[in-house]
Amino acid sequence: MKPSEIKKLIIGSTDGETDTGSIASILEGEGVSFDFKNGFTEKVTDRIFAGTLSLKREVDFTRSLSFVFYRIAITGIAAIVILMISIFVMQDSFSFNSFLGLGDGYAESIVYLITGN
Amino acid sequence: MKESYRLAGDEELVKASIDGDKLAFGEIVNRYRRMVARTVKGMLGDSVYSEDIGQEVFINLYNSLSSFRGEAKLSTYIQRIAVNLTLNEIKRRKRFFSMFSHKENDEMMEYEIADPENEEKWEAREIVNKALMSLDPRFRIIVAMRLLQGYSTKETAEILDLPLGTVLSRLSRAQEQLKEKLKKL
Repeated sequence: MKPSEIKKLIIGSTDGETDTGSIASILEGEGVSFDFKNGFTEKVTDRIFAGTLSLKREVDFTRSLSFVFYRIAITGIAAIVILMISIFVMQDSFSFNSFLGLGDGYAESIVYLITGN
Repeated sequence: MKESYRLAGDEELVKASIDGDKLAFGEIVNRYRRMVARTVKGMLGDSVYSEDIGQEVFINLYNSLSSFRGEAKLSTYIQRIAVNLTLNEIKRRKRFFSMFSHKENDEMMEYEIADPENEEKWEAREIVNKALMSLDPRFRIIVAMRLLQGYSTKETAEILDLPLGTVLSRLSRAQEQLKEKLKKL
């Protein structure tokens, strides 16, 4: 069947008056048939009767999570790099105190804050 | 427990499945898997997730069999589950991809490889796939029901739980869209 004839059938199916039962059969004869892969029935019955449902949901969840994590990770790494550069520019070092936002003379400052002396 | 349920009626299969008969439920799956595939793959394309949705349809069916009272035909009941799950999947994808990407991920679409010996048949399928995928999901579901399942407008309205007038107006809008899109294919 020519592509133009297939297109006519598709358009024809959108006519409310058309009997589409015959269109579906013609298309099926032209190879427009749909089915699931071999072993589909066994997979379904195994999932139901072997109690593997929760396991599958877990796998789906993990797959979604890893996809989301991948997207977030790139942004996260970029943010960390910017943060490190800004710390280095402001504090002139990568010391532990710099990361905590504390300058030199940390102990004295704490004593001053607590006692007022 | 019977060895084969090939000749059994739907009612008998449902009863046996509720009693936990794996063979009976397997027969229901065999009987209706192509119908479900037409709906799911017609709506989602041959994507990697179509198989999963197909499985979910039958798992949902199994879980709700005890509440199936036989008021509608079993095929209609399964078809409704298939339509609902497929539309939910489309919504989920839309949300997901609008959050992380501007375009639906091409990796998720896995079309079958053309059979070089049967190029004409492959082309027919390609045209149908592309025509359906070019439509808005609200129109696509109605066209898929008519084109792939051969349902009348009345049956389509019943399965989708829509007024007949809505089905007819959406068909007319779908026709306009398809005429435009098919010119380019």
